[in-house]
Parts: sequence; structure tokens; C-alpha cells
Amino acid sequence: MMGEEGAAIAEAAPVATEAASRLREFFPSTGPLGRLFTMDTAIIVVRVLITLVLSLVFVGLVVTILRKVSKKRMDARTGGLFVKVVQYLGLAFVAFAVLDAANVNLSALLGAAGIVGIAIGFAAQTSVSNFISGIFIVSEKTFTQGDVLSVDGTSGIVYSIDAFSIKLRTFDNQLIRIPNETLIKTKMANITRFPARRLNIDILVTYDSDIERTRDVLLEVAAKNQDVLRNPEPVFMVKEYGDNGIELFFGVWCASDEWFQGNNSMKIDIKKRLDAEGIQFAYPTVTVYSKKA
Amino acid sequence: MWEPYDVPRSEGTRIHRIGDALVCIAVEMTGAGDLLAAMPVYPEAGTQKKSLRKKADHAIALPPLEDGAWSRFFIGKAESYELSPGYPPLPACVSLKETFSLPPGATLDGWIFSRVEARVLVAGNELASFPLVKPYKTLYGTPDAGVVCRHDEAQFLASNEPMFDSLVTDPGLVAHPVRLKNASSEPVRVTELCIYGEQLSIFGVGTNMQSERLLFIFSSSGVRMSLDGQGPLPSGATVLAKPKVSGEERFIVRSFELFKAITRL
Repeated sequence: MMGEEGAAIAEAAPVATEAASRLREFFPSTGPLGRLFTMDTAIIVVRVLITLVLSLVFVGLVVTILRKVSKKRMDARTGGLFVKVVQYLGLAFVAFAVLDAANVNLSALLGAAGIVGIAIGFAAQTSVSNFISGIFIVSEKTFTQGDVLSVDGTSGIVYSIDAFSIKLRTFDNQLIRIPNETLIKTKMANITRFPARRLNIDILVTYDSDIERTRDVLLEVAAKNQDVLRNPEPVFMVKEYGDNGIELFFGVWCASDEWFQGNNSMKIDIKKRLDAEGIQFAYPTVTVYSKKA
Repeated sequence: MWEPYDVPRSEGTRIHRIGDALVCIAVEMTGAGDLLAAMPVYPEAGTQKKSLRKKADHAIALPPLEDGAWSRFFIGKAESYELSPGYPPLPACVSLKETFSLPPGATLDGWIFSRVEARVLVAGNELASFPLVKPYKTLYGTPDAGVVCRHDEAQFLASNEPMFDSLVTDPGLVAHPVRLKNASSEPVRVTELCIYGEQLSIFGVGTNMQSERLLFIFSSSGVRMSLDGQGPLPSGATVLAKPKVSGEERFIVRSFELFKAITRL
């Protein structure tokens, strides 16, 4: 057995020697390049290159598959974050594989990385906080791409969901970046989460208006409006006898994505019908009584 | 009514009456090809008397072809277009005119009707689809988990035959044979039924239309609509429209939704 192996090594030896002598022709052993480009170095460089290419191809393949799977099976936010985490882990794997191929002592490097990690951790506190907040937000599933959010007075459509922040496209076409940490800390409203949304209309009519007739007119307007859902039924309420008139509340339901259109059409229709019916909107008035002397 | 027609190149606007609705078709000729314009016209509030209908078709004042009310499509040199029935893109929520209670374990067979849309096709491609009455929407279910549907209203006919001639004369209605089953342990009040038209065909039976048999199962977790087997078609029935989504496709989507709901992924 040993004899066969020895014979094989003896056969391969002249080939290796020949390659080494060729390398020395380009880089004489006496020069600085010659000392650097030894046969061992060349083998290591080739090994590193092969490891780099193979591991990048492998990570790329995994990320591509995950991206396709997550697009079908997960919402944009979860999928994006999941792919990003795998991408970062994959790059770390590539770095370790390459360093291992280059015969770098990883235990020493990992020790150093621990210290560096602490330093970077302090420096990148905000980024890490945003990243962790992103994971919590994902687990809560409060919104997804295309939803309309209102965050701290800013409203817009969720344009993109990234590892550290989300981007909102406001209705006047501005791109607003909101860090994930802010989303965790502040009150956020998802306006289009549910399929239907109520349109709340406050109406102030004069004291001489017939409230029952006003209610009937409002219900008729809602029944004729194509933007208003037939179910749930509209809500009518006499809120208060106010200083300037009778405060009425009228709520109708619209499909969430047609709320804006419903708001306009309902308010236009109500104004037209109340005008036609002679029901007057109230405005601040002062009644002055003159006392005869 | 649901058949191919020549493109009206030299006769002005052609008006198709389907029930109370009118579908107007006109052609604008250009050098490179033609533009087909289509527009629905719905009756004003209140019903029209039949004797006045024909007169009304002639008296109707249509806007010019440049008006935004017309939908315009480039059809090249196509010689014909087709009118075809189709289900609305949204599910139809049919409110029953007379609600009833279904005791636990009971099964009831009957018929309900829903309204189709008129589709305009050129060379097999759908150009436009018009509801045959002014479309209203409604929410089927609760505000947090419901489905926005097309609103429809019909009577539930608890009989084996649809009784087309006696009760239903509107050519825009499709009859659905249904089986209602209460699988819960409580009585269920049946007030509305939600029909997902994308899974259904439309069969022409004489001058009427009919779909596959539907099964509605009422359970403690909600109501589920499914096809109740694929029985033999009535004699002389022709296929006017095929389902947009196959049952298998729907099954896979529903299974995955269920899996997501269970695993909270």
C-alpha cells in the first residue's frame, strides 16, 4: 500500500518541480516578488479564488431562491428582512471561508473581532436598534407595502420596507424615510388595513331645521351614492345642541381604497341636497336683544 | 343577444338593450385602424314601462364620442365584436329579499339569481365589461375581516326548478342552483349569500343563464362556498363563459392561506 502511494508521489514530483522552476523564471527567488510568489502562495491564491467564487455563487443562489420564495409566500416586509439577514449571514460565511482558505488563524481573528464588535456595537447603536425594531415590527404584522400609514402627522403610502427604515411616499409625492425605531416609539395608524373605513361627517344645522327630515335626506343621499357601501348601514346621531346650531353626526362606510372619492362625492351630494331641501347649515351667530329704556 | 356582431362602421351608434340597461357601441374610423367606443346607459330611478322602452332607445341623447363617458379601444381592422356575459370582478353579495332561519344539521336546496356584466370582446380579447344596473358595493362580513362585494338583491326560491318564466324575465340574471347546509349546532339566519363568480361558468339554457350548483356550508367558523359537484348540464345548454380561476388553483390558494393562518407566517 505504502509502496503504491510512494510511487505516485515520486511520479508527481518532477511535474511540481517543473512548475516551480517556471515560476522562478518569472519571479527570481532573490527578488522581492520571488520571495512573495512562491509555489505555496500561488496554491493559496488559487484556493482563495476558487473558494471565493464558489461561496459567492452558493450564497447568490440561496439568496435568489429565497427572494423568489419569499415574494410568493411572505409579505414584502418580512420577505425583504429575511432575505437581507440571510444575505448578511451569507457574506459573513464567504468571508470566513476565504480567510480559512488563505490559512489565516481564525481563532485569533475571532478574538479580535469580539473586541472590534463591541466597539462597532457602541458606534452602530442606532443602526442595531433600528434593525432589532424592524424585527419586532415584522412580528407584529401591522402593515405591508402599499398600505397607507400615518406616522407622527405624516401620511403616505408604504413605498419600501428595508432593514433599518421604511420609506413613505406622501400624497404630494415626497419620499419620507422613517427609522424603524421611530415606528416602535410613536403612534402609527394603518389607514388601509381593513377592507372598509367609515367616513365621519359632522354637520351643523340651524335650530329651525327639521331634524327628522334632515336624517331622511342624509340617508337618501347615502343610498344613492355609489361610493358608499350598503352594508354596514349608515349611522346618524344628534350630537349636541350647540351654541350656533344643532350638531349632527353622519357616518357612512366606504371601501378603504375609495374613501377619498367617497369623502368628496358624499360632501358634494349632501350640500346639494340640503340646499335643495332648504335645510340650512349653521354658522356662528350672535343674537342681540335690545332692552327698551 | 350574447353573440358576435359586425362592427357598425356606417350606421352610427348601435344600441344593445339587455334588461333595463343599454350598451352603446360606435366606431370612429382612423387611417391606421378603427377605434371602437362603448358606453353603458342605465335607466333613471323608477321602472320604465315596456311599451315605452323602444321609444326611449331612439330618444336617448348620447354624448359625442370624444366625451369621457365613452371607453375607446383601438381595434385595427377587426370586422366584428362580441357581447358575452361575465361575472363581476368583485364577488357578488346577494341579499335575500326574504330572510329565513336554517335549523342545525338542515340542508335546503333552492335557487338564487345574481346579475352578470356585459363584456365586449374583439378577437377573443375583453375590451370592457359593463354592469347591467348602476353598481353599488357592500361589505360581506365584519369591518375588520369582511370582503367588499358587488351588492345584489334576490329572492331565494326553495324549489327544485328555477321557475324562470314565472318569476324572472330579466336577461341579465344568471340562476344559481344552491344547496345550503347548516353544519353548526345553532340555528343560522340566512340573510345574504356571497358568490365568487371567478370560479363559475355561465351556461345558456334557452334564453336563460345558469351556473354550476353551489354549496354553502354554515359552520361555527363562518360560511364557505364551493362547487357542489359537476353534475350533467341541462339538455341543450351551451357554455357562454368559462371560470377565470380553476377549482384546483383556488384550492391551492386557500390551503396556503389556511397554512399561513395556522402557522402565523
